[in-house]
Amino acid sequence: MSAFSRRAFTAGGLASLLTACGGHDTTRQDTTRHAGAARGPGTTASPAPSDRARPLARSVPVRLLVPAIGVDTPVVRLGLAADGTVQVPPVTDHDRAGWYRHSPTPGETGPSVLLGHVTVGPYGDGVFRHLARLHRDDRIVARLENGTAAQFAVTAVRTVPKTDFPADDVYGNVGRPELRLITCGGARTGDGYADNVIVFAALSGAKSPTSGER
Amino acid sequence: MRRTVLSTLALAGTAVLLGAGPAFADGSTPSPVPSAASPTTRPAESAEPTRAPEPTRPPAEDEPTRAPAEDQVSVRPSGAPDTGVTTVSDSGTGGTAIGAGAAAVLALGGGTVFVVRRRRASGA
Repeated sequence: MSAFSRRAFTAGGLASLLTACGGHDTTRQDTTRHAGAARGPGTTASPAPSDRARPLARSVPVRLLVPAIGVDTPVVRLGLAADGTVQVPPVTDHDRAGWYRHSPTPGETGPSVLLGHVTVGPYGDGVFRHLARLHRDDRIVARLENGTAAQFAVTAVRTVPKTDFPADDVYGNVGRPELRLITCGGARTGDGYADNVIVFAALSGAKSPTSGER
Repeated sequence: MRRTVLSTLALAGTAVLLGAGPAFADGSTPSPVPSAASPTTRPAESAEPTRAPEPTRPPAEDEPTRAPAEDQVSVRPSGAPDTGVTTVSDSGTGGTAIGAGAAAVLALGGGTVFVVRRRRASGA
């Protein structure tokens, strides 16, 4: 074997070695992609809004925005009235929405309940006067005390008789962060209304104070 | 000499083909869709202990799901929220009217008493 042929043989051997290594790497990349792809159908099979929206840490809401109906209001805390019903925000001019403090904060797992008036007697329309106009996928934003903006998407809007208030649907446990906006609606009866308008929404995302928007 | 070079090239070409072989080992035709079973990836997955969080991913359902946890609303209110005040203004004006009426009666009575006393005083 001459020197040239030895060199050529060595070069060929090196080439085959390099090619074999490259082929091995390609196989590993494919495996990784397959693993990712195998996980993909699991997540895409269901719409998975909860994948996009993980539960947030507990922080009380300080402001509520519903752009579709022009709501941008501070949020007060509400408890229980003496008769066991939920407190409602004060009947004042420029009334506010209220968060029921025995419910989860917006973004926590469970139904976070916020209430507002449809009308406030002598002061005219209330902060939730157009709540019944909301549609599925309309956006709701609850700004929290810690600076996070919890974003929700409307899933349903229901008008129900007060005599048949769906307490289980409103206050019952759920497996993801949800929101309930409640006001009155329907026919007027004396000094009140016959129905309740309830907006059901699910967490769709969140913006932390570090992400810029505040 | 030339034969040696040719045989070396042939050897290198064979090595290239052999090296490229594993790239197509997954299937007869390369396809972007992974084979669903992909049994070759499963053992690798089980070998990775860091995949443990995967089962904790909640079943993502679009509709609200009932969770078997403790009550998330710790105190459930009774009845329906009363979030609409329609005629408070009426009762408010009514109350105002009553108050104004009472004030008028008082003023009238006071004035009458004053006049009567004044007359008595002047008559006496």
